[in-house]
Amino acid sequence: MTRPRLATLAIIVVALGVIAFALSGALLNLMIFMMIIALAAQGWNILGGYAGLSSFGHAAFFGAGAYAMAVLQTRFGVNAWVALVIGIALGALVGAFIGFLSFRSGLKGSYFALITLAFAEVARIVANSTNFTGGAAGILLKLQNGLPYLQFADRRYFLLIALGFVAIGLVVSWWLEHSRFGAYLVALRENEQAAQALGVDVFAVKMKAIAISGALTAAAGCLYAQNYLFIDANVAFGSWISIEALFAAIVGGSGTVLGPLIGAIVLLGLGELTKGLSHGIPGMDLMVFGVILVLSVAFSPNGLVMLMKSLGLRAPAKEREA
Amino acid sequence: MRRHPKSLSRRTVLKSGVALTSMLAAPGLLRAEPAPVKVGLLQPISGAFALDGDLAKIGAEFAVKEINEAGGIKALGGAKLELIVGDSRSNAEAGAQATEELQSAGVAAVLGGFASGIALTATQTASRYDLPFVVDCAVADTITERGLKNTFRFNPNFSMATAVALKNLVKLNDDAGKPIKTVAIVHEDGLFGSGLAKIMQEKLPPLGFQIVETIAHPTPARDMTNVVLRLRALNPDLIVPSHYFNEFVLMARTLQQQRVRPKGIYAVFGGAASSYRFVNEFPEAAQGVMDCNHWGDPKSPITAKLRETVTAAGKFYAYNTPINYSLVKVFAQAVEKAGSADRAKIIEALAANEFDSGIMPYGKTKFDAKGQNASALPLNTQVQGKDIKVIYPAEYAEAKPVFPING
Repeated sequence: MTRPRLATLAIIVVALGVIAFALSGALLNLMIFMMIIALAAQGWNILGGYAGLSSFGHAAFFGAGAYAMAVLQTRFGVNAWVALVIGIALGALVGAFIGFLSFRSGLKGSYFALITLAFAEVARIVANSTNFTGGAAGILLKLQNGLPYLQFADRRYFLLIALGFVAIGLVVSWWLEHSRFGAYLVALRENEQAAQALGVDVFAVKMKAIAISGALTAAAGCLYAQNYLFIDANVAFGSWISIEALFAAIVGGSGTVLGPLIGAIVLLGLGELTKGLSHGIPGMDLMVFGVILVLSVAFSPNGLVMLMKSLGLRAPAKEREA
Repeated sequence: MRRHPKSLSRRTVLKSGVALTSMLAAPGLLRAEPAPVKVGLLQPISGAFALDGDLAKIGAEFAVKEINEAGGIKALGGAKLELIVGDSRSNAEAGAQATEELQSAGVAAVLGGFASGIALTATQTASRYDLPFVVDCAVADTITERGLKNTFRFNPNFSMATAVALKNLVKLNDDAGKPIKTVAIVHEDGLFGSGLAKIMQEKLPPLGFQIVETIAHPTPARDMTNVVLRLRALNPDLIVPSHYFNEFVLMARTLQQQRVRPKGIYAVFGGAASSYRFVNEFPEAAQGVMDCNHWGDPKSPITAKLRETVTAAGKFYAYNTPINYSLVKVFAQAVEKAGSADRAKIIEALAANEFDSGIMPYGKTKFDAKGQNASALPLNTQVQGKDIKVIYPAEYAEAKPVFPING
């Protein structure tokens, strides 16, 4: 099997942590954003990658986390760390709620995708129009540095915390690949009827998957709110994050441990690299980005992880020839 | 993977060698030219607001050219200004990222922001580096209410603008013999439209206007027929719209098609109400539309020059150009007064002094304790014929208001 070992994951996380400490300014900011998107994508990957339930509405979880973080702190004076825990729990709860309604009625495939999209849109509209969530003006978190506020003058600490969450995401995915529960997920992705016939409690498995998925993506939302200190309905529940999450996971390799992380790093890194190409023509960089994306998807339809593996397998063969 | 910025390749070494040799060869030249003052302009160059960002850039570039041609920053021995444009891509995270990049580029200050969401995250990013940030037309009051020492705003905020808009509406109505009794509010459901509708709902009734309906719609909206049919049934004397460009145009055209003829359309920060593109493309629908918005002093000769520059580039003039032109002018004065490109000194100079407001009709710009320009005010404009004329206040007015427009 070509599954990554736990030690490999640890090396990757430590390496990223070391890189984190060498960064500052724009690159540091970019890497924080990469980790947030990677985490959101890891959440998507549990449901969309392993369980085969593609969601177009992970913004619902992301937004739940972000708003929990912002509302609890600004309205109720809750400590940032406590708010973080509640935000993650809320993500799981929202996941369970959406899951209960859609899995009970057996929604899957494009119907499930549409229903998640609808939930996210409803959440966006509600958040945009109620005073409790700050309405269309959004919520501004107070800038105050210090460990209890989960804001740091030296943002490398924040990056390490984000990286810590990504590490948790990696471990959860790794565990899925090694556990009975993960096997159930893959079974129902491949053939739900067969899985059911073999005694898998499909409903319970799906519910657990969407709750874990929601919690991870909500954690990304919490970190987003805490990093940018401003959210509004379009940021928290906007379709952009649903797209980023599924994009990163699919480009990186859906249903793989490292896929979402690699996808987020490559996509956002590519976006930054092409930025320099925009001289004179606004948006030129985005076009180049688009072309590279199309090419990468065309040549590695199973994700970059698979591409790397196939390249990795070929390389020693060449050596042997030589 | 990205190459480490500090690593040296053979080519870089060669290049710097060449540069060094030429520097040694021309020592006189080097001494004559003091280090340029880098100034960052954060604008949406791509994305949904790309048009605005582009117009802003033209204004800022014009001002930089003007200042450099007049001998640069005198207090720094004629140092030239160097404009570095950061693309906020019309969204908040990219705005923060672009600010980080401007910081890495070593700018002395950042100007711009354009939209409130972008300005909120970007000013915050800049505050980590004590990097002075002068916001342009992002109007959310909260931008200057977070106690960030580095953050200033040149343009009027939301509360200031609506106060002026209401005052002038009352004056307009009184001068015409009070033709307006009923008002309908049509607004987009975002920060800007909802905020405005809320203020209007509070403030209009005490001033003697009856609000017959408040209609919200999302952005983007592809069809305004239902909204307009509702307006036709209500037949209000005045329509107060607040939406972005496309929706505004759509509504004005649908009003025209459905022959809904209120006595006036009075926008506050109207998306298209003071846009030459709208006037040019739909002159009939635009006739008589009034707006209370950011607007350059129409009587300044520079306004005419900027308009020419924008038109010559095949673009339609809008307020972004004069604002960003003036922002650069204010920044240059701040550097003159600070006598240094040092960030802390620029912040100090911005907070302590009065500045000429370029071609914005603000008299002397003076930033208050929170960093808001206390002298900023919007102007009232009306589309008359093929032009947009300032109708209030009297000292900037080019024309008398045509009101009521439909008998």
